[in-house]
Amino acid sequence: MASVTPTKKIDLYAQFKHEYVTPKAPVLVTIKPARYLAIDGQGAPGGARFTAAIGALYAVAFTIKMSRKFDGRQDYAVSKLEGRWYFDGEATDVARKDWRWTLMIRTPAFVTPAELRKAVTTLVARNKPTEVKEVRLETVKEGVSVQMLHVGPYENERETIDAMRAFAERRRLQFAGPHHEIYLSDPRRVPPPRLRTILRQPVRRVR
Amino acid sequence: MPTRDATLRAYKQQMLNVLVHIQQHLDEPMPLHELASLAGLSPYHFHHVFTGMIGEPLLHHVRRLRLERAATRLKLTRLRVIDIALEAGYETHEAFTRAFAGAFGLSPRQFRERHHRSMTLDASSGVHFRARGRLRSFHTARPVKDVDLALPVVIKSLRPMRVAFVRHVGPYDRVAQAWDRLGAFLGKHGWLGGDAQFIGICHDDPAVTEPARIRYDACVTVDRRFTPENDIGVQTVAGGDYAVLTHVGDYGRLGDGYARLFGHWLPRSGRRLRAIPSFEMYLNSPESTDPQDLIVDLHAPLESR
Repeated sequence: MASVTPTKKIDLYAQFKHEYVTPKAPVLVTIKPARYLAIDGQGAPGGARFTAAIGALYAVAFTIKMSRKFDGRQDYAVSKLEGRWYFDGEATDVARKDWRWTLMIRTPAFVTPAELRKAVTTLVARNKPTEVKEVRLETVKEGVSVQMLHVGPYENERETIDAMRAFAERRRLQFAGPHHEIYLSDPRRVPPPRLRTILRQPVRRVR
Repeated sequence: MPTRDATLRAYKQQMLNVLVHIQQHLDEPMPLHELASLAGLSPYHFHHVFTGMIGEPLLHHVRRLRLERAATRLKLTRLRVIDIALEAGYETHEAFTRAFAGAFGLSPRQFRERHHRSMTLDASSGVHFRARGRLRSFHTARPVKDVDLALPVVIKSLRPMRVAFVRHVGPYDRVAQAWDRLGAFLGKHGWLGGDAQFIGICHDDPAVTEPARIRYDACVTVDRRFTPENDIGVQTVAGGDYAVLTHVGDYGRLGDGYARLFGHWLPRSGRRLRAIPSFEMYLNSPESTDPQDLIVDLHAPLESR
């Protein structure tokens, strides 16, 4: 952990850097279909279910990656945590305990369902929490999206999202599909005013 | 219990003993255990505290004082440059000239010619070579000012932690090899659950021990069922009180965090260090984190009250 060796390790952020831009004002980006490890849930961010889901997701992600590495196969960096959020209407109209989400970690396309199954079996055999069984592989197709960097506490995203919506409307686009967040900072230690989060919102033409 | 001012005075007094000893024995070997015992510190922590309080590592300090003495000799005596070089601990004229010019910006010969130049080098401690008279005080170094380092030091009481580890012996910047080996082994066998913690135990100080001999243990917490295998060992990280400083930023700047914890916080804390190594806990991975966002909790072991 204490130093990074430059190797030919795959880094998805470098490979798809135009999909991870962090502009201070909204921009349009085109996102190619991408493979993720994902786990669904409901409940407040930071709550027991949410925390268990993060633990399960990372356990599976590292077990798959490290097994490949141990076997001398193509190595890659485990990506950052991302989340998609589902609201019927505005987030502010829904109680936090009823928030529905999918937590995700982007994974190279060459990771197979068989590797996922093997990782889950290994973890369960070690008595790791059974949430690992809920982790699945999913290909997400977002296409044209509005994207912007949000700096500050998650509770203050409203303003950033409003700017993204105004930007979309000026181009005769409307939000289509769940709100997507890519967590660049670690909320366990980074003070809320300095948290950096990419907000991404798939859009489509207004008909 | 002594007051905080009293402990700071005690730390400063003991460090002054060390500085006086160095000044009086500038040409002798300075065994770590001797200096540590003068400072009333465990050899594990001496260098962190010295660097933190004095503002430069021990070897720098000694080397600087020797160069300042050489400058005095150049200015005030007619000794040959090679003799001054030998006294300053350099085996050749060239090595001495290079070091001297690097520090004073002039070759020894040029320096002698323009001997009106100041004979002291910059040092925040205010400690300089003295031909006579005893050193009476010094300035403690100020911690590096940085918003990222401004998180408060907290005292945590930890339970003992059982860890699987791979020992790395060699330059500190190659410890990634040990992590690669440990991570691949534990991951493959399902030990990297969401609650696994990543710990680095530094047995030696890179400022003192030659790079090839530095010992570092890359550790991951495991439960009782884990058994050692080949190069993967098991040890227990001692529980008890630790002073914890969260360092946010490039690993290359961890020294600033150590200087703040051992040099600034500790002498004012009213606490003493335990004679076991300190350790680092890594909260995120350099593989998927930008260097400025890396988070490490530095743990300094404290004697219980």
